[in-house]
Formats: sequence, structure tokens, C-alpha cells
Amino acid sequence: MFNDKEASKIVDIIKNFARKHSLWVVAYGTGCGAIELPPTMTSRYDAERFGIRGSATPRQADVLLITGYLSVKTLKRVIRTYEQMQEPKYVIGFGSCTINGGMYWDSYNTIKALDRYLPVDVYINGCMPRPEAVISGFIKLQQLISEGKADGAKRYRENLEWYRENQRKVIKNWRMPEYNW
Amino acid sequence: MINMNKNLYNENQTIEEIKNTFHTAEIKLQRESRIIVKLRSDLIPPFLSYAKNYLAFNHLAHFSCVDWIEDNEFELVYLLYSYEKNIVVIAKTRISRDKAEFVTIKHLWRQAETYEREIHEMFGINFTGNDRLNEFILEDWDDIPPMRRDFNTIQFAKDNFYTRPGREDAQDVRETITKKSGEKIPDFAKEFSVRNLK
Repeated sequence: MFNDKEASKIVDIIKNFARKHSLWVVAYGTGCGAIELPPTMTSRYDAERFGIRGSATPRQADVLLITGYLSVKTLKRVIRTYEQMQEPKYVIGFGSCTINGGMYWDSYNTIKALDRYLPVDVYINGCMPRPEAVISGFIKLQQLISEGKADGAKRYRENLEWYRENQRKVIKNWRMPEYNW
Repeated sequence: MINMNKNLYNENQTIEEIKNTFHTAEIKLQRESRIIVKLRSDLIPPFLSYAKNYLAFNHLAHFSCVDWIEDNEFELVYLLYSYEKNIVVIAKTRISRDKAEFVTIKHLWRQAETYEREIHEMFGINFTGNDRLNEFILEDWDDIPPMRRDFNTIQFAKDNFYTRPGREDAQDVRETITKKSGEKIPDFAKEFSVRNLK
């Protein structure tokens, strides 16, 4: 028979298998990338065959898609959305704006590197990424989940001070609720 | 270029009417169905009221601002449209940059209130009579208004937002194009080249 360690490993494999085939994306679009999601979800590219579906509220969702540039004002809402989500939760950075600022590199009101403020599991590059690229990003995320490497939520919990420090640097008037997960 | 074959009856008639009422206005027919009227700042409220009530320019299509830092002035631009005549009248006026203040036109068009809030936030112009000039698009902004030309956007972005290394060798699009076509970069554009901004 199995010992405890082996048993929990097998349970993890089964859990990750289930998780990777039901990725519910919270319906929240920032920037211009949200326009790529309707074709991804509908019959032409049909993301549902990979188990990717839209979800109405952050508390029911698994994936937070950051679809483009984030202004400081939107970043506040994104952080609140992310912190309300239940684990397991993953973040996908979408488009070059989330990677290095993209065409908004000299803007007065947009952040330039998303992973300073939220733990990103997968980045999809492009401006804008086409639905094929979006689906390939999701498949990459599924791979990471099945290998147990998509640990963004864990990283966020462990390095919360570092993330908070960066967030407070751009959000000057800090009036955010504290969640205790 | 104005196409002389076009019938400019409506435009010429409107120009004539404005000229007869506001003698100091500089009027220019930019092209078909587009008239630019430059006015003294104190004549703007009576002009807008006149255009709305007597010339049937019912629709305030846009209201914006230009920063002429060289002249130490702000230019306010009002775009009025007439559905009857199918003409846009662009009313322009200049106010001093040191005392950035103007009167509201909220009593003529209610949507002007929103435009004024935006201009107040982006340029720091105070509109007397508009009591809703509070925080609008920018949240928690404590610097000088960002659309003023003396606001250093690049320095601000550098100070506040983390820049990921790896963009240093990014090619300047303008230089790449000139290399291909052999065209020269004009001097005023060189100032804004990526290489000089660092």
C-alpha cells in the first residue's frame, strides 16, 4: 500500500488534472486586449474545448486575465479583484503592455511591469496577441498546473510585504481592504 | 483647398452674420463646412449664446484646450455643430497661463460641465461657476496637471514606475525609416528622438 507522502502525491496529480481542465476566467477586461476574448470564446476558436470558460464573479473564477495596459486607477481594482479570488488562482499577463509597458512606456499613469504588483504565471507577448496566441498561453498554463509549477498565489502569500511595498509606491492614497485568506 | 465649384452659400452667409455682430472676430473659412472664429476671451460667452440661439448651432460637439507655452497662454477651443446648416464652427480664444481662469458655459450646454472637469484636471484651468470641479479621471494626483507642457512625463514615469531592463537598445523607428529611404530627420524632430530622451 501507499504511505502518506505517496498518497498525497497521487491526490495532487488528480487535483491538478481536474484544475487544468476547468479554467474559469473572470470577465474583467483592461486595456484593448479584451476585444480579443470574444473571438477566443466563440465558435471560431472555441476555447471551451480546453475547459476555458468565462465566470461572472471573481470569487468563482480561477484565472485573472490582465488584457493590456493598467492605469494606476485600474490597478487598484485589479488588486482587489485578485485578492477576492479563491485559491487556486492564476494570473495571465496579456500583451506587451503588461511585460515592459509596450507603447505606454512613457505614460504618466500606467504601470510598466505587472509582476511587480501581482504574481504572474504566464505572459503572452504580442500587441495584441491573436486568439491562437491566447490559447497557446492557456495551454502553457495547463502544463504548468499539471507539473505543479503554477504557484503564483503561494508566491503572493509568501512575499506579500514586497508586493505591498510596490503597490503602495504607485497607489498613493491607500484605502484598500485587508483580506485574511 | 476650397473647391470653388461647391456652393458655399451657407458658409458665406454664416460668416457674414458673425462678422456683422462681432466686428473684432477673426474669421477664416478653413474648408467646406468648417469655419474658425478667433475671439477675445470676454466675447466667448456672448458669441456661444448668439451662435446657439440665433444661428442654430445647437450642438456642442467638443470643448478642449491647447497649451501654448511659448506665448504663455492657453487656447480654449469650442466646436459647435449645426444640424440645419451642416457646418462646424470652431471658436477659439486665448487666456493667460499665469491666471488660468475662465467662465463656465454650463448654462448653455449641460455637457460642458464634464468637459470643464476634464480640462480642469488635465490643464489646471479653473472655471468659475462650475461647482463640480472635483477629482474626475486621475485619482490621488498631487503633481502639476499632466497635460501641461512643462510637466515632464518621461521623468515622472521614470521616477514612479519600475522600468524593466532590455529596452535600451530599442531602435528609433524614425531613424530606421530614414536609413531605408534616405530622407533627413528635421531638427525639431531630433529633439524627441529616443536616443536623446535617455
